[in-house]
Amino acid sequence: MSKANLDRRIVITGGGIHGLGTAFHLALLGHTNVRVLDAGYFQSGASGRNGTLVRGGFASYEWTRLFAHSNRRWIELSRLLGENVMYTRRNYLIVAQTEKTQKLIEPAVPMHRELGLQSEIIGPGELARLAPCLDTRTVRMAVNLKDGGVAPHHAAMKGFLSAAKRIGVSVDYGKAVTAIERDGKRVTGVVAGGERIPADVVLLAAGAQSAAVAKLAGVAIDAFPQRIEAMALEPVRPILRPAIALPDRLCYLHQTARGEIVGGSEVPERPQDTLTTDLPVMSLTAKIYAEMFPAFSRLRILRHWAGMLLATPDWGPLTGRHPDLENLWVSTGWSYGIAGAAGTTELMALSISADEPHDIIRPFAVDRFRRGQPVAEGAIVLAPNASAHGTAA
Amino acid sequence: MQISWNGTAIPAREGDTVADALLRHGIRAIGTTRKRHRPLGYSGSFVKGILAEVDGVPNVRLDQRPATNGLRVQSQNVWPGPKLDLLKFARLVPAKFVRGGFEHPRWLPSGTARFERWEALMSFLAGEGRLSPEPPARTTVPGEKLSTDAVVVGGGRAGSEEARRLAGLGRKVVVIARRPPADDLAAPIRTLAPFEAFGVYRGGRLIGAAPLDPDQPGVVIETSELVLATGRRSVPPVVAGNDLPGVMDAPTALRLAERDVDLGRIVVVGTGAETSLAARLRELGQTVAIVSTITMLERIVGRGAVAAVDVGRRIACETLVHAGPWVADPNLPFQASANGRIRLGAEALPPHVRVIGSAALPDEPVHVGSLADARHAAICPCMDVMGAEILDLMAAGMTHVEELKRQTSCGMGPCQGLPCWELLRALMRKASDGLYGDDRPSHRGPRRGLTVAQAAGLDGLVEPQQ
Repeated sequence: MSKANLDRRIVITGGGIHGLGTAFHLALLGHTNVRVLDAGYFQSGASGRNGTLVRGGFASYEWTRLFAHSNRRWIELSRLLGENVMYTRRNYLIVAQTEKTQKLIEPAVPMHRELGLQSEIIGPGELARLAPCLDTRTVRMAVNLKDGGVAPHHAAMKGFLSAAKRIGVSVDYGKAVTAIERDGKRVTGVVAGGERIPADVVLLAAGAQSAAVAKLAGVAIDAFPQRIEAMALEPVRPILRPAIALPDRLCYLHQTARGEIVGGSEVPERPQDTLTTDLPVMSLTAKIYAEMFPAFSRLRILRHWAGMLLATPDWGPLTGRHPDLENLWVSTGWSYGIAGAAGTTELMALSISADEPHDIIRPFAVDRFRRGQPVAEGAIVLAPNASAHGTAA
Repeated sequence: MQISWNGTAIPAREGDTVADALLRHGIRAIGTTRKRHRPLGYSGSFVKGILAEVDGVPNVRLDQRPATNGLRVQSQNVWPGPKLDLLKFARLVPAKFVRGGFEHPRWLPSGTARFERWEALMSFLAGEGRLSPEPPARTTVPGEKLSTDAVVVGGGRAGSEEARRLAGLGRKVVVIARRPPADDLAAPIRTLAPFEAFGVYRGGRLIGAAPLDPDQPGVVIETSELVLATGRRSVPPVVAGNDLPGVMDAPTALRLAERDVDLGRIVVVGTGAETSLAARLRELGQTVAIVSTITMLERIVGRGAVAAVDVGRRIACETLVHAGPWVADPNLPFQASANGRIRLGAEALPPHVRVIGSAALPDEPVHVGSLADARHAAICPCMDVMGAEILDLMAAGMTHVEELKRQTSCGMGPCQGLPCWELLRALMRKASDGLYGDDRPSHRGPRRGLTVAQAAGLDGLVEPQQ
């Protein structure tokens, strides 16, 4: 690669796992001028508040191709970074309780395997063996993703941060971008914390704040901030090894290495643009636990928190070049952001470096809604998007 | 009346909690820290010190559980059993080795089979209580929804007086108190006790409360006004040995003295209340060795329990009682006011939320010994966070409370930040000459305030926001 290319000044707005990870991979490719800016503190956004679950298999080919790649990278990530990201393979169970969900996930298994995932259909008997505290009476079947698991966010983030800094990436937290300068269809620089920073390329990876940051550049992102809540139960000895998604209840959970049961669910509410929490998610999650994991009903709830993500009309990420600015790249709109991070950050870096979106991220192009080409994905634990343009499954 | 502690019968008296009975019988080490399995006792400060399995249910607070005849109580976080506990050899592991989350990249990178085995072992060693996979008879305790003009949290003097005043103005009042108020609050005031206010939602208009008895229903209350009269707590000093069994706050010492528990030789320290507290303890028949201002306290000495304290000179004792510094619980006011998109920050309280009584007084500064000694002080003992870990991270450039919290797990245990974040902030201030440590991590509910069964029973009582 030419020196001129590797010397390009790359500014990444957002020091979450996607911003940091892409910065690391850009530096690994030889880019010498990579700078990450973040308005908050380290791990203040969704990269410090998520459910930490990782899986490769979904119902759609597009999602599975991207996330299967990322799942493989999760397994290798500690050795690549020289830092322990503490990813554990746990068996990730997508549990179907309705015919609709069964019909959605069962046919996906051959596609999962074609894309290199260890994926299998299991019945209630095998499910009861893998998750003895799950009440399987209402369960029809499940898909077991054997490579799926858990990546505790503190370790993953610390790993990316240390590794990125070690190979020359400059990272500033507490430095909010206040303006983005343009010259026609190109971004020329950003202003952050009073400093003007010239840029040849800008990557927008600001999570829930991405639409607001895009606005500074005078362009739009088809997405809006939305609160997602989760809660932790008090710790107990290991009792639940797999990670579990219950798409029919819009609920997910796992047990952390610390012993806490961490999970959440979704209630139909107007999208809330705040980190405060409310009662309905906590009580609904508790109700689902009481029904599906009756042993947990004795446990006390330790804490309950919220994170924010940028909700897109089809819940898929926005990855690629912004259609209105030729040197503004985007990696945002993540709802399964941790799961996608290990692989997509590499693909984003390759795309920016080659100035050409990588094949695997192309279906998630920023302008897909304008073109009428959303990616339908049904096997996710998210309520149909309130603002959906009739697309979310 | 007798209860069983790890298979041994122990007498208990009418009105005892399990913790009262254990301490009267000379049992001071009840719980342990998470990773190094160091002993913790009944302190009034660190909740993990009084968690145990009761009749097969893990994580029961022994200071809230009345002793009843035949109750089976057992230490948790032990293996293979309480009589022969091999996990206590974890105490031999140097504190430095268990910092953070056992990352250790060189020996055990993830993605290898040996890491998976290591992680499973670590999860097991992280211990805690054993949950029976058998479903309990009742998995949901149906809750109740109330609507009122005013909620008063706290049944002490200030809370009771305010409840009476508001009722006198013709307001409908609900009082939430951990202990039944000393003098009965007559109807129309409705008193919920012993209850914990587990959460404040929607800017203080929606309050969640649950009884300490997990079989009784939780309550959600819509209110026009919220009054917080939650008093103050004495925060333990940041000195070596501050988590040893035998270190306790003034209310805990008084409670035990009133329950006729012999606390041995006592040293009382404080920020002004120590003299009157010592006099009261002597009246109750206790032996007070010396009384001192807390700033004289250099360190607490002992192996497994308090044996002496250094207050200019070494004083042999079995108990150290701290009566101050006094700090108000910041959790509920934080929940009532905090907002934000990038982080939750406390804002001015809305006009319909008031803090009254001693909770409204300014916080007293937490006592921090010399920085050399503070390295050996517990900051969050339940999670094995010691002063050295915080100071070393600060020296490496990590100065944000939220970052330190996530990196160390400080405040992520059963106390959920009180007192640990007060100790953390005080240490940060001392180490940075006041530059860092004013900031607070986000305070969150419900802090063990209700069970899954109680929360499940609240479902459907509150409409999601539209």
